[in-house]
Amino acid sequence: MASVSLQNLYKFYGGAVVVEDVNLMVEQGEFVVLLGPSGCGKTTTLRMVAGFVQPNGGRILIGGEDVTYVAPRLRYVGMVFQNYALFPNMTVAENIAFGLRQRRVPRADAAKRVAELLDLIQLPGRGDNAVGALSGGQQQRVALARALAVSPRVLLMDEPLGALDVRLREDMQLELTRIQRRLGITTILVTHDQHEAMTLADRIVVMSDGRIQQIGTPDHVYYNPCNRFVAEFVGRNNVLSGRVEATRGDEALIALRGGTRIRVPAKKAVAAGEQVDVTIRPQHMLISDTPAGDPDTITGLVEEHRFLGNVVHYSIRLPSDDVVLVESPAETAPPALGTGVSLTWRKDHALLFDARGQALHGG
Amino acid sequence: MAANANPVRDDQAAAATNRQPGRTGTRWEWFLWPAVLISFMLLVFPQANFIWLSLHADLGLGQVSDALTGENYLRLLTDPFYLNAFWLTLYLSVATAAFGLLVGFPAAYALARIGGWTASLLLSLILTTSLITVVVKLIGLNIILGASGLINQIVLGLSLSNSPIQMINNEFGVFIGLVQYTLPLMIVLLFGVVQTIPVSLEEAATILGATRAATYWQVILPNARAGLLSSGLIAFNMSMGAFTSAVLLGGGRVRTVPVLIQQTIIQETKYGEGAALSTTLVGLAFLINVAVIAYLFAGGRQRVGQRAD
Repeated sequence: MASVSLQNLYKFYGGAVVVEDVNLMVEQGEFVVLLGPSGCGKTTTLRMVAGFVQPNGGRILIGGEDVTYVAPRLRYVGMVFQNYALFPNMTVAENIAFGLRQRRVPRADAAKRVAELLDLIQLPGRGDNAVGALSGGQQQRVALARALAVSPRVLLMDEPLGALDVRLREDMQLELTRIQRRLGITTILVTHDQHEAMTLADRIVVMSDGRIQQIGTPDHVYYNPCNRFVAEFVGRNNVLSGRVEATRGDEALIALRGGTRIRVPAKKAVAAGEQVDVTIRPQHMLISDTPAGDPDTITGLVEEHRFLGNVVHYSIRLPSDDVVLVESPAETAPPALGTGVSLTWRKDHALLFDARGQALHGG
Repeated sequence: MAANANPVRDDQAAAATNRQPGRTGTRWEWFLWPAVLISFMLLVFPQANFIWLSLHADLGLGQVSDALTGENYLRLLTDPFYLNAFWLTLYLSVATAAFGLLVGFPAAYALARIGGWTASLLLSLILTTSLITVVVKLIGLNIILGASGLINQIVLGLSLSNSPIQMINNEFGVFIGLVQYTLPLMIVLLFGVVQTIPVSLEEAATILGATRAATYWQVILPNARAGLLSSGLIAFNMSMGAFTSAVLLGGGRVRTVPVLIQQTIIQETKYGEGAALSTTLVGLAFLINVAVIAYLFAGGRQRVGQRAD
């Protein structure tokens, strides 16, 4: 177990910057998830920690030791690959024991360790199976056991659950959390799935265009996105464009496209006339079919509704022709299609971003 | 085969797929008939005829006896001249296949790992050069490897030897010819083999502490085993039947079985004996193929047997 510190990491491929000035401190025993769309540099960052990719600039420290130029096999980290990368020519036990064999662990000790790990991943007695005979979820667990067998300082996981179907993925997320907590192993996981990130992470690192956008606990990132990218990428969100008409104290009066005026909290200075975006999450919008004269309200027509069991999704077309998504509990009687509705929200649920996408709501 | 969280659902899904009307509606086996007929006409029929012919004694001038006899085969199996020819053909073919694997696998491995545009270009170069008529390439080799050829000029020029090294009109020459004949195809075949081994397997081995050598011996080679054996088998089969290399670089002095067959049938018009030679050659190659494939499957079944599910 050890901490991981990434300092000013850079990676270029040809002229393209893939990873740009990445700084991250992962504490001992922490579970950090790198989250971002494909091509955001998250996998490259992980592969630099593993040693498969050599950074063009910056340093990587594991447990305080500079490993920037240390070969992967001497970094003493474990890795779980996207497609598991189990050795097809070996049995389950041989796969798990592979690292121990490379490190010249005596046969008897290795066998004991393999049995321990088979128990940990809940596949006791399956050591003699061929890996091809296992299901996807089982292969995934064997890959995890193989990585953990050598008691690595850090566990790296590259989209480990990507190939599993939804329900199995949720089971495996719980399983991963259980094993990670039990071993207290420092873990860095890469995913593009924000639900997975939320479920697993102590802290989420949101990445885009090779840069870290925001680092924080799942709820902090969700409720206080530092820019529009994070606001839209982590959880669903509605974005309404407008212009600042006036400011007063901690509030800005925004004229939305389409003419509606609303007041939005603005902790940071913003000038009248500035282009801004307001975000309000679908579940934070309250739908009502009595058009209220309240100032901080937007109105629109119900264009579509989709029943999803626990909630209903409404598509509401605004006068500006924008469509917003509203999520309501399923119990409420749905307004009919085509009827006019008004949407309200708790004032602090509306977040404000400037024209460059930076948060103005403060953090 | 995957034991999913919801096996019942999966079984139903599989059953539904099998019941698709399009799959059972088309009689695909009909499309096999033209190929079956052609191979019968071109392969099975002449071979059967050959086997029949091999069971008759030669009477000279291309005539064979009416009575059936095994004397052709008896002669092949007792006369050291023929036994030597078979041994020569066999060991040249094995040597060629082994050498091809030794040189071809690292090359194919490198090409597969380099990948992309470079690999495609190099592979197509290898393929196009291998498509040039063997005769043209062998004549070129004859000139270079000859007593006054480029290589001997260098050897003599550097005083590495007092007299020209004999590289053609002997077994070594035939070996070189067989290598140039089979190596390009082997590289292409092995390229496909390496491509089926994901790089992530090597990365997994590396991060678990394996050295390059350990990764090669414990991960890459075992996973390439089937591909190595079948590619080697193809080179072996090509070499067993190779005639041009043996004639042009062996100068008629290296009598492999294909050379003997040609001499016996065309020059001596001894059809019975030639047919027996050819049948024995095909039979021998066939047996070796079956043995290697059986060995391959036995190894595979051992693994499957461990799947105590």
